[in-house]
Amino acid sequence: MLYESMSFLYYLNPEKYKLRKWREDNHRNSEQIVDVGEELINEHASKLGDDIWIIYEQVMIAALDCSRDDLAWTCLQELKKQFPGSQRVKRLAGMRLEALEKYEDASKQYDSILQDDPTNTAARKRKISILKAQGKSAEAIRELNEYLEQFVGDQEAWHELSELYINEHDYGKAAFCLEELMMTNPHNHLYCEQYAEVKYTQGGLENLELSRKYFAQALKLNNGNMRALFGLYMSASHIAASPKVNATVKKANVKYAAWATNQINRAYQLAGRGTKENKCSVKAVEEMLESMQITMS
Amino acid sequence: MSIKLTTQAYCKMLLHAAKYPHCAVNGLLVAEKQKEKKKDSHSTPILCVDCIPLFHGTLALAPMLEVALTLIDTWCKENKYVIAGYYQANERTKDFRPNQVAEKVGARIAENFSEAAMIMVDSTRFTMGCYEPILAIYDHHENKWKCRDCNADCFEDWCEAQKITSALLEGRSYESLIDFDNHLDDLRNDWTNPEINKSVLHLC
Repeated sequence: MLYESMSFLYYLNPEKYKLRKWREDNHRNSEQIVDVGEELINEHASKLGDDIWIIYEQVMIAALDCSRDDLAWTCLQELKKQFPGSQRVKRLAGMRLEALEKYEDASKQYDSILQDDPTNTAARKRKISILKAQGKSAEAIRELNEYLEQFVGDQEAWHELSELYINEHDYGKAAFCLEELMMTNPHNHLYCEQYAEVKYTQGGLENLELSRKYFAQALKLNNGNMRALFGLYMSASHIAASPKVNATVKKANVKYAAWATNQINRAYQLAGRGTKENKCSVKAVEEMLESMQITMS
Repeated sequence: MSIKLTTQAYCKMLLHAAKYPHCAVNGLLVAEKQKEKKKDSHSTPILCVDCIPLFHGTLALAPMLEVALTLIDTWCKENKYVIAGYYQANERTKDFRPNQVAEKVGARIAENFSEAAMIMVDSTRFTMGCYEPILAIYDHHENKWKCRDCNADCFEDWCEAQKITSALLEGRSYESLIDFDNHLDDLRNDWTNPEINKSVLHLC
Protein backbone atom coordinates (compact mmCIF):
# COMPACT_ATOMS: atom_id res chain seq x y z
CA MET A 1 0.00 0.00 0.00
CA LEU A 2 2.79 2.32 0.95
CA TYR A 3 4.63 1.80 -2.34
CA GLU A 4 1.41 2.31 -4.28
CA SER A 5 0.72 5.61 -2.65
CA MET A 6 4.37 6.74 -2.99
CA SER A 7 4.47 6.09 -6.74
CA PHE A 8 1.07 7.68 -7.10
CA LEU A 9 2.40 10.75 -5.31
CA TYR A 10 5.44 10.79 -7.56
CA TYR A 11 3.28 10.60 -10.66
CA LEU A 12 1.08 13.42 -9.45
CA ASN A 13 3.82 15.68 -8.26
CA PRO A 14 7.42 14.54 -8.52
CA GLU A 15 8.79 17.69 -6.88
CA LYS A 16 6.72 17.19 -3.77
CA TYR A 17 7.81 13.57 -3.60
CA LYS A 18 11.47 14.54 -3.91
CA LEU A 19 11.18 17.03 -1.06
CA ARG A 20 9.53 14.42 1.11
CA LYS A 21 12.22 11.84 0.36
CA TRP A 22 14.96 14.36 1.23
CA ARG A 23 13.12 15.22 4.46
CA GLU A 24 12.84 11.59 5.45
CA ASP A 25 16.48 10.85 4.63
CA ASN A 26 17.60 14.04 6.35
CA HIS A 27 19.66 15.07 3.34
CA ARG A 28 21.50 18.35 3.53
CA ASN A 29 21.30 19.02 -0.21
CA SER A 30 20.21 22.58 0.47
CA GLU A 31 20.78 24.02 -3.00
CA GLN A 32 18.56 21.39 -4.58
CA ILE A 33 15.89 21.84 -1.91
CA VAL A 34 15.89 25.59 -2.55
CA ASP A 35 15.66 25.06 -6.33
CA VAL A 36 12.79 22.60 -6.13
CA GLY A 37 11.06 24.11 -3.12
CA GLU A 38 11.12 27.73 -4.28
CA GLU A 39 9.46 26.82 -7.56
CA LEU A 40 6.89 24.66 -5.80
CA ILE A 41 5.98 27.43 -3.38
CA ASN A 42 5.82 30.14 -6.02
CA GLU A 43 4.01 28.25 -8.75
CA HIS A 44 2.02 25.48 -7.12
CA ALA A 45 1.20 26.61 -3.60
CA SER A 46 -2.51 26.04 -4.03
CA LYS A 47 -2.03 22.39 -5.02
CA LEU A 48 0.06 21.50 -1.98
CA GLY A 49 -2.68 21.44 0.61
CA ASP A 50 -1.55 21.08 4.18
CA ASP A 51 1.86 19.85 3.09
CA ILE A 52 2.78 23.42 2.32
CA TRP A 53 3.63 24.17 5.97
CA ILE A 54 6.21 21.42 6.35
CA ILE A 55 7.59 22.40 2.97
CA TYR A 56 7.93 26.01 4.13
CA GLU A 57 9.91 24.77 7.11
CA GLN A 58 12.15 22.54 4.99
CA VAL A 59 12.77 25.22 2.38
CA MET A 60 13.43 27.84 5.04
CA ILE A 61 16.18 25.81 6.65
CA ALA A 62 17.70 25.05 3.25
CA ALA A 63 17.51 28.73 2.33
CA LEU A 64 19.46 29.62 5.48
CA ASP A 65 22.12 27.14 4.38
CA CYS A 66 22.37 28.90 1.02
CA SER A 67 22.41 32.47 2.43
CA ARG A 68 19.01 33.09 0.81
CA ASP A 69 17.68 35.29 3.59
CA ASP A 70 15.00 36.66 1.26
CA LEU A 71 13.49 33.22 0.77
CA ALA A 72 13.98 32.23 4.43
CA TRP A 73 12.19 35.41 5.53
CA THR A 74 9.23 34.73 3.22
CA CYS A 75 8.82 31.18 4.52
CA LEU A 76 9.13 32.34 8.11
CA GLN A 77 6.42 35.00 7.66
CA GLU A 78 4.00 32.47 6.19
CA LEU A 79 4.64 30.10 9.08
CA LYS A 80 4.27 32.89 11.66
CA LYS A 81 0.92 33.87 10.16
CA GLN A 82 -0.37 30.31 10.17
CA PHE A 83 1.01 29.24 13.56
CA PRO A 84 1.18 32.31 15.79
CA GLY A 85 2.92 31.68 19.10
CA SER A 86 4.26 28.29 18.01
CA GLN A 87 7.49 27.13 19.71
CA ARG A 88 8.49 25.30 16.57
CA VAL A 89 8.25 28.50 14.52
CA LYS A 90 10.09 30.41 17.24
CA ARG A 91 12.94 27.95 16.90
CA LEU A 92 13.05 28.62 13.14
CA ALA A 93 13.23 32.34 13.85
CA GLY A 94 16.15 31.57 16.15
CA MET A 95 17.89 29.59 13.42
CA ARG A 96 17.57 32.56 11.09
CA LEU A 97 19.28 34.74 13.70
CA GLU A 98 22.04 32.15 13.95
CA ALA A 99 22.49 32.23 10.18
CA LEU A 100 22.87 36.00 10.42
CA GLU A 101 25.46 35.36 13.18
CA LYS A 102 23.31 37.24 15.70
CA TYR A 103 24.14 34.66 18.32
CA GLU A 104 23.07 36.65 21.37
CA ASP A 105 19.63 37.36 19.91
CA ALA A 106 19.28 33.74 18.85
CA SER A 107 20.23 32.57 22.33
CA LYS A 108 17.61 34.87 23.87
CA GLN A 109 15.04 33.43 21.50
CA TYR A 110 15.84 29.90 22.63
CA ASP A 111 15.87 30.96 26.28
CA SER A 112 12.35 32.31 25.91
CA ILE A 113 11.22 28.96 24.46
CA LEU A 114 12.86 27.15 27.38
CA GLN A 115 11.17 29.46 29.88
CA ASP A 116 7.78 28.34 28.60
CA ASP A 117 8.86 24.76 28.10
CA PRO A 118 12.03 23.61 29.90
CA THR A 119 11.85 20.22 28.22
CA ASN A 120 12.10 21.64 24.71
CA THR A 121 15.04 19.61 23.41
CA ALA A 122 15.22 21.43 20.07
CA ALA A 123 15.93 24.77 21.73
CA ARG A 124 18.58 23.27 24.00
CA LYS A 125 20.33 21.66 21.06
CA ARG A 126 20.30 24.92 19.10
CA LYS A 127 22.02 26.63 22.05
CA ILE A 128 24.72 23.99 21.90
CA SER A 129 25.01 24.53 18.13
CA ILE A 130 25.68 28.20 18.80
CA LEU A 131 28.59 27.27 21.05
CA LYS A 132 29.90 25.02 18.30
CA ALA A 133 29.56 27.77 15.69
CA GLN A 134 31.51 30.13 17.93
CA GLY A 135 34.30 27.59 18.26
CA LYS A 136 33.63 27.07 21.96
CA SER A 137 34.18 23.31 21.77
CA ALA A 138 34.87 22.72 25.47
CA GLU A 139 31.65 24.49 26.48
CA ALA A 140 29.66 22.73 23.76
CA ILE A 141 30.95 19.40 25.06
CA ARG A 142 30.09 20.30 28.63
CA GLU A 143 26.55 21.44 27.75
CA LEU A 144 25.96 18.40 25.58
CA ASN A 145 27.06 16.09 28.38
CA GLU A 146 24.61 17.81 30.73
CA TYR A 147 21.89 17.51 28.12
CA LEU A 148 22.54 13.80 27.74
CA GLU A 149 22.28 13.22 31.49
CA GLN A 150 18.67 14.29 31.15
CA PHE A 151 17.87 12.98 27.69
CA VAL A 152 19.88 9.78 27.70
CA GLY A 153 18.05 8.29 24.71
CA ASP A 154 18.79 11.07 22.23
CA GLN A 155 20.88 9.31 19.59
CA GLU A 156 21.49 12.35 17.47
CA ALA A 157 23.01 13.99 20.55
CA TRP A 158 25.27 11.01 21.34
CA HIS A 159 26.51 11.04 17.78
CA GLU A 160 27.14 14.78 17.82
CA LEU A 161 29.08 14.37 21.08
CA SER A 162 31.20 11.58 19.58
CA GLU A 163 32.12 13.90 16.71
CA LEU A 164 32.99 16.75 19.05
CA TYR A 165 35.28 14.42 21.02
CA ILE A 166 36.92 13.12 17.85
CA ASN A 167 37.67 16.68 16.73
CA GLU A 168 39.30 17.28 20.11
CA HIS A 169 41.27 14.04 19.66
CA ASP A 170 39.67 12.63 22.83
CA TYR A 171 39.19 9.19 21.30
CA GLY A 172 38.45 7.42 24.57
CA LYS A 173 35.39 9.54 25.24
CA ALA A 174 34.32 9.36 21.58
CA ALA A 175 34.43 5.57 21.88
CA PHE A 176 32.19 5.74 24.94
CA CYS A 177 29.55 7.68 22.99
CA LEU A 178 29.68 5.19 20.14
CA GLU A 179 29.35 2.33 22.65
CA GLU A 180 26.08 3.90 23.82
CA LEU A 181 24.89 4.05 20.22
CA MET A 182 25.90 0.47 19.49
CA MET A 183 24.06 -0.75 22.59
CA THR A 184 20.81 0.83 21.50
CA ASN A 185 21.33 0.09 17.79
CA PRO A 186 23.03 -3.31 17.64
CA HIS A 187 22.21 -3.77 13.96
CA ASN A 188 23.63 -0.47 12.78
CA HIS A 189 26.79 -1.27 10.82
CA LEU A 190 27.83 2.39 10.63
CA TYR A 191 28.17 2.77 14.40
CA CYS A 192 30.24 -0.45 14.57
CA GLU A 193 32.49 0.76 11.82
CA GLN A 194 32.95 4.22 13.32
CA TYR A 195 33.73 2.68 16.72
CA ALA A 196 36.36 0.50 15.05
CA GLU A 197 37.89 3.59 13.39
CA VAL A 198 38.10 5.38 16.72
CA LYS A 199 39.73 2.39 18.41
CA TYR A 200 42.23 2.07 15.55
CA THR A 201 43.10 5.75 15.87
CA GLN A 202 43.57 5.40 19.61
CA GLY A 203 46.31 2.92 18.84
CA GLY A 204 48.05 0.22 20.83
CA LEU A 205 47.75 -3.52 20.35
CA GLU A 206 44.62 -3.98 22.48
CA ASN A 207 42.75 -1.23 20.65
CA LEU A 208 43.87 -2.59 17.29
CA GLU A 209 42.46 -6.00 18.16
CA LEU A 210 39.19 -4.43 19.29
CA SER A 211 39.05 -2.40 16.09
CA ARG A 212 39.56 -5.53 14.01
CA LYS A 213 36.71 -7.25 15.84
CA TYR A 214 34.36 -4.35 15.27
CA PHE A 215 35.31 -3.92 11.62
CA ALA A 216 34.46 -7.60 11.26
CA GLN A 217 31.18 -7.08 13.08
CA ALA A 218 30.28 -4.17 10.79
CA LEU A 219 30.98 -6.40 7.80
CA LYS A 220 28.75 -9.11 9.22
CA LEU A 221 25.96 -6.56 9.49
CA ASN A 222 26.61 -5.18 6.02
CA ASN A 223 29.05 -6.95 3.74
CA GLY A 224 29.04 -4.01 1.35
CA ASN A 225 30.68 -1.65 3.84
CA MET A 226 34.03 -0.91 2.13
CA ARG A 227 35.35 1.08 5.06
CA ALA A 228 34.85 -1.94 7.31
CA LEU A 229 36.59 -4.17 4.76
CA PHE A 230 39.58 -1.88 4.40
CA GLY A 231 39.63 -1.40 8.15
CA LEU A 232 39.70 -5.14 8.73
CA TYR A 233 42.61 -5.43 6.32
CA MET A 234 44.55 -2.58 7.92
CA SER A 235 44.02 -3.65 11.52
CA ALA A 236 44.79 -7.32 10.87
CA SER A 237 47.92 -6.33 8.92
CA HIS A 238 49.19 -4.09 11.70
CA ILE A 239 48.55 -6.76 14.35
CA ALA A 240 50.35 -9.40 12.28
CA ALA A 241 53.30 -7.04 11.83
CA SER A 242 53.54 -6.22 15.53
CA PRO A 243 56.58 -7.64 17.35
CA LYS A 244 54.45 -8.08 20.48
CA VAL A 245 52.21 -10.88 19.18
CA ASN A 246 52.94 -14.59 19.36
CA ALA A 247 53.04 -16.86 16.34
CA THR A 248 49.44 -18.07 16.69
CA VAL A 249 47.99 -14.57 16.77
CA LYS A 250 50.21 -13.54 13.90
CA LYS A 251 49.09 -16.49 11.81
CA ALA A 252 45.42 -15.79 12.50
CA ASN A 253 45.73 -12.13 11.54
CA VAL A 254 47.64 -12.96 8.38
CA LYS A 255 44.66 -15.13 7.46
CA TYR A 256 42.17 -12.34 8.20
CA ALA A 257 44.22 -9.87 6.16
CA ALA A 258 44.49 -12.31 3.26
CA TRP A 259 40.74 -12.88 3.29
CA ALA A 260 40.13 -9.13 3.33
CA THR A 261 42.57 -8.69 0.43
CA ASN A 262 40.57 -11.14 -1.63
CA GLN A 263 37.31 -9.44 -0.85
CA ILE A 264 38.74 -6.00 -1.65
CA ASN A 265 40.09 -7.23 -4.97
CA ARG A 266 36.74 -8.80 -5.82
CA ALA A 267 34.90 -5.61 -4.93
CA TYR A 268 37.18 -3.57 -7.18
CA GLN A 269 36.90 -6.06 -10.03
CA LEU A 270 33.13 -5.87 -9.81
CA ALA A 271 33.16 -2.09 -9.72
CA GLY A 272 35.76 -1.74 -12.44
CA ARG A 273 33.87 -3.60 -15.11
CA GLY A 274 33.51 -1.53 -18.21
CA THR A 275 35.21 1.68 -17.23
CA LYS A 276 38.71 2.40 -18.43
CA GLU A 277 39.47 4.75 -15.54
CA ASN A 278 38.56 2.22 -12.90
CA LYS A 279 41.01 -0.34 -14.29
CA CYS A 280 43.66 1.99 -12.95
CA SER A 281 42.05 1.88 -9.51
CA VAL A 282 41.95 -1.91 -9.55
CA LYS A 283 45.64 -2.08 -10.40
CA ALA A 284 46.52 0.50 -7.75
CA VAL A 285 44.67 -1.47 -5.09
CA GLU A 286 46.37 -4.72 -6.07
CA GLU A 287 49.78 -3.13 -5.87
CA MET A 288 48.97 -1.41 -2.60
CA LEU A 289 47.90 -4.68 -1.01
CA GLU A 290 50.97 -6.45 -2.35
CA SER A 291 53.34 -3.84 -1.00
CA MET A 292 51.69 -3.93 2.41
CA GLN A 293 51.96 -7.70 2.56
CA ILE A 294 55.68 -7.40 2.01
CA THR A 295 56.11 -5.04 4.95
CA MET A 296 53.84 -7.27 7.03
CA SER A 297 55.94 -10.40 6.67
CA MET B 1 61.53 25.54 -2.74
CA SER B 2 58.08 26.93 -3.29
CA ILE B 3 55.13 25.29 -4.95
CA LYS B 4 52.96 26.57 -7.74
CA LEU B 5 49.47 25.42 -8.63
CA THR B 6 47.94 24.63 -11.99
CA THR B 7 44.38 25.62 -12.76
CA GLN B 8 43.21 22.03 -12.43
CA ALA B 9 44.69 21.66 -8.94
CA TYR B 10 43.24 24.96 -7.68
CA CYS B 11 39.89 24.34 -9.26
CA LYS B 12 39.28 20.94 -7.75
CA MET B 13 40.34 22.16 -4.31
CA LEU B 14 37.76 24.92 -4.38
CA LEU B 15 35.08 22.71 -5.89
CA HIS B 16 35.61 20.26 -3.03
CA ALA B 17 35.17 23.02 -0.45
CA ALA B 18 32.10 24.30 -2.33
CA LYS B 19 30.47 20.87 -2.45
CA TYR B 20 30.56 20.56 1.35
CA PRO B 21 30.22 24.10 2.72
CA HIS B 22 29.09 22.81 6.11
CA CYS B 23 31.97 20.35 6.57
CA ALA B 24 35.70 20.32 6.95
CA VAL B 25 37.33 18.97 3.79
CA ASN B 26 40.85 17.85 2.98
CA GLY B 27 42.87 16.41 0.15
CA LEU B 28 46.24 15.93 -1.46
CA LEU B 29 48.19 17.75 -4.13
CA VAL B 30 50.42 15.90 -6.56
CA ALA B 31 53.34 17.07 -8.67
CA GLU B 32 55.21 15.49 -11.53
CA LYS B 33 58.21 13.55 -10.38
CA GLN B 34 61.45 15.38 -11.22
CA LYS B 35 63.69 13.25 -13.39
CA GLU B 36 66.92 14.32 -11.72
CA LYS B 37 67.81 16.74 -9.00
CA LYS B 38 69.23 19.81 -10.71
CA LYS B 39 72.01 21.69 -9.00
CA ASP B 40 69.96 24.83 -8.59
CA SER B 41 66.75 22.99 -7.84
CA HIS B 42 65.66 25.53 -5.27
CA SER B 43 65.08 28.10 -7.94
CA THR B 44 62.59 26.02 -9.89
CA PRO B 45 59.26 25.90 -8.12
CA ILE B 46 57.42 22.62 -7.83
CA LEU B 47 54.29 22.56 -9.98
CA CYS B 48 51.30 20.86 -8.40
CA VAL B 49 49.45 19.56 -11.41
CA ASP B 50 46.51 17.86 -9.78
CA CYS B 51 44.48 17.60 -6.62
CA ILE B 52 42.92 14.51 -5.05
CA PRO B 53 40.00 15.39 -2.76
CA LEU B 54 40.00 13.05 0.22
CA PHE B 55 37.42 13.44 2.94
CA HIS B 56 34.63 15.62 4.23
CA GLY B 57 33.25 15.79 7.75
CA THR B 58 35.33 14.12 10.42
CA LEU B 59 38.98 14.36 9.40
CA ALA B 60 40.65 13.19 12.59
CA LEU B 61 40.36 9.41 12.17
CA ALA B 62 43.33 7.35 11.00
CA PRO B 63 42.36 4.17 9.14
CA MET B 64 40.75 5.56 5.97
CA LEU B 65 43.41 8.26 5.76
CA GLU B 66 46.08 5.56 5.78
CA VAL B 67 44.24 3.64 3.08
CA ALA B 68 43.91 6.76 0.94
CA LEU B 69 47.55 7.77 1.36
CA THR B 70 48.79 4.29 0.45
CA LEU B 71 46.44 3.89 -2.50
CA ILE B 72 47.16 7.32 -3.90
CA ASP B 73 50.90 6.79 -3.40
CA THR B 74 50.65 3.66 -5.56
CA TRP B 75 48.64 5.53 -8.19
CA CYS B 76 51.24 8.31 -8.13
CA LYS B 77 54.08 5.88 -8.78
CA GLU B 78 52.26 4.55 -11.84
CA ASN B 79 51.68 8.03 -13.20
CA LYS B 80 55.14 9.39 -12.30
CA TYR B 81 53.65 11.75 -9.75
CA VAL B 82 54.68 12.41 -6.20
CA ILE B 83 52.46 13.56 -3.31
CA ALA B 84 53.64 17.13 -2.86
CA GLY B 85 51.08 18.79 -0.64
CA TYR B 86 48.03 18.66 1.57
CA TYR B 87 45.07 21.02 1.73
CA GLN B 88 42.38 21.50 4.31
CA ALA B 89 39.36 23.74 4.77
CA ASN B 90 38.04 23.80 8.33
CA GLU B 91 34.41 23.37 9.31
CA ARG B 92 34.06 26.89 10.70
CA THR B 93 34.46 29.61 8.08
CA LYS B 94 36.42 31.90 10.35
CA ASP B 95 38.85 29.20 11.37
CA PHE B 96 41.64 28.95 8.85
CA ARG B 97 44.58 28.02 10.99
CA PRO B 98 46.18 24.61 10.53
CA ASN B 99 45.19 22.19 13.28
CA GLN B 100 46.71 18.97 14.56
CA VAL B 101 45.35 16.90 11.66
CA ALA B 102 46.82 19.25 9.06
CA GLU B 103 50.20 19.32 10.80
CA LYS B 104 50.33 15.55 11.18
CA VAL B 105 49.43 14.76 7.59
CA GLY B 106 51.66 17.56 6.35
CA ALA B 107 54.59 16.20 8.35
CA ARG B 108 53.96 12.69 7.02
CA ILE B 109 54.04 13.96 3.43
CA ALA B 110 57.15 16.03 4.17
CA GLU B 111 58.92 12.80 5.24
CA ASN B 112 58.71 11.57 1.68
CA PHE B 113 58.95 14.92 -0.07
CA SER B 114 61.03 17.58 1.62
CA GLU B 115 59.47 20.51 -0.25
CA ALA B 116 55.94 19.52 0.73
CA ALA B 117 53.46 22.32 1.29
CA MET B 118 50.43 22.56 3.52
CA ILE B 119 47.58 24.67 2.24
CA MET B 120 44.72 26.07 4.26
CA VAL B 121 41.67 27.42 2.44
CA ASP B 122 40.35 30.74 3.72
CA SER B 123 36.61 30.36 3.37
CA THR B 124 35.86 33.91 4.49
CA ARG B 125 37.12 35.14 1.14
CA PHE B 126 35.51 32.41 -0.92
CA THR B 127 33.31 33.97 -3.61
CA MET B 128 31.77 32.80 -6.87
CA GLY B 129 33.89 35.32 -8.73
CA CYS B 130 37.16 34.01 -7.26
CA TYR B 131 38.73 37.44 -7.64
CA GLU B 132 41.62 36.67 -5.35
CA PRO B 133 43.48 33.53 -4.34
CA ILE B 134 42.06 32.34 -1.03
CA LEU B 135 44.86 30.07 0.11
CA ALA B 136 47.44 30.28 2.84
CA ILE B 137 50.49 28.23 1.90
CA TYR B 138 52.74 26.80 4.60
CA ASP B 139 56.25 25.52 3.97
CA HIS B 140 58.05 23.07 6.23
CA HIS B 141 61.19 24.60 7.76
CA GLU B 142 63.04 23.00 10.65
CA ASN B 143 60.02 21.07 11.88
CA LYS B 144 57.79 24.11 11.83
CA TRP B 145 55.24 25.30 9.33
CA LYS B 146 55.79 28.83 8.11
CA CYS B 147 53.10 30.76 6.31
CA ARG B 148 53.91 32.28 2.96
CA ASP B 149 51.99 35.01 1.17
CA CYS B 150 49.77 33.61 -1.55
CA ASN B 151 49.33 35.78 -4.59
CA ALA B 152 49.14 35.39 -8.36
CA ASP B 153 52.77 34.21 -8.40
CA CYS B 154 51.75 30.98 -6.71
CA PHE B 155 49.86 29.93 -9.81
CA GLU B 156 50.96 28.71 -13.19
CA ASP B 157 48.43 31.12 -14.70
CA TRP B 158 46.30 33.01 -12.18
CA CYS B 159 44.01 34.63 -14.76
CA GLU B 160 43.16 31.26 -16.22
CA ALA B 161 42.69 29.72 -12.77
CA GLN B 162 40.39 32.54 -11.72
CA LYS B 163 38.29 32.42 -14.88
CA ILE B 164 37.88 28.66 -15.00
CA THR B 165 37.26 28.13 -11.29
CA SER B 166 34.60 30.82 -11.33
CA ALA B 167 32.94 29.29 -14.39
CA LEU B 168 32.84 25.82 -12.85
CA LEU B 169 31.44 27.17 -9.59
CA GLU B 170 28.68 29.00 -11.45
CA GLY B 171 27.91 25.84 -13.38
CA ARG B 172 27.73 23.87 -10.11
CA SER B 173 30.37 21.38 -11.24
CA TYR B 174 31.04 20.65 -7.60
CA GLU B 175 27.89 18.54 -7.55
CA SER B 176 29.72 15.91 -9.56
CA LEU B 177 33.07 16.18 -7.79
CA ILE B 178 34.15 12.85 -6.27
CA ASP B 179 36.26 12.64 -3.15
CA PHE B 180 37.74 9.54 -1.52
CA ASP B 181 34.77 9.36 0.87
CA ASN B 182 32.42 9.16 -2.12
CA HIS B 183 34.64 6.44 -3.56
CA LEU B 184 34.38 4.40 -0.35
CA ASP B 185 30.60 4.78 -0.50
CA ASP B 186 30.57 3.40 -4.05
CA LEU B 187 33.74 2.07 -5.67
CA ARG B 188 32.55 3.13 -9.10
CA ASN B 189 33.01 6.76 -8.08
CA ASP B 190 36.32 7.83 -9.55
CA TRP B 191 38.44 10.06 -7.29
CA THR B 192 40.60 11.14 -10.23
CA ASN B 193 37.58 13.12 -11.48
CA PRO B 194 38.15 12.63 -15.22
CA GLU B 195 34.99 14.51 -16.18
CA ILE B 196 35.95 17.61 -14.25
CA ASN B 197 39.48 17.41 -15.68
CA LYS B 198 37.91 17.39 -19.13
CA SER B 199 35.77 20.43 -18.27
CA VAL B 200 38.85 22.32 -17.12
CA LEU B 201 40.74 21.49 -20.32
CA HIS B 202 37.71 22.38 -22.38
CA LEU B 203 37.57 25.85 -20.87
CA CYS B 204 41.29 26.52 -21.24
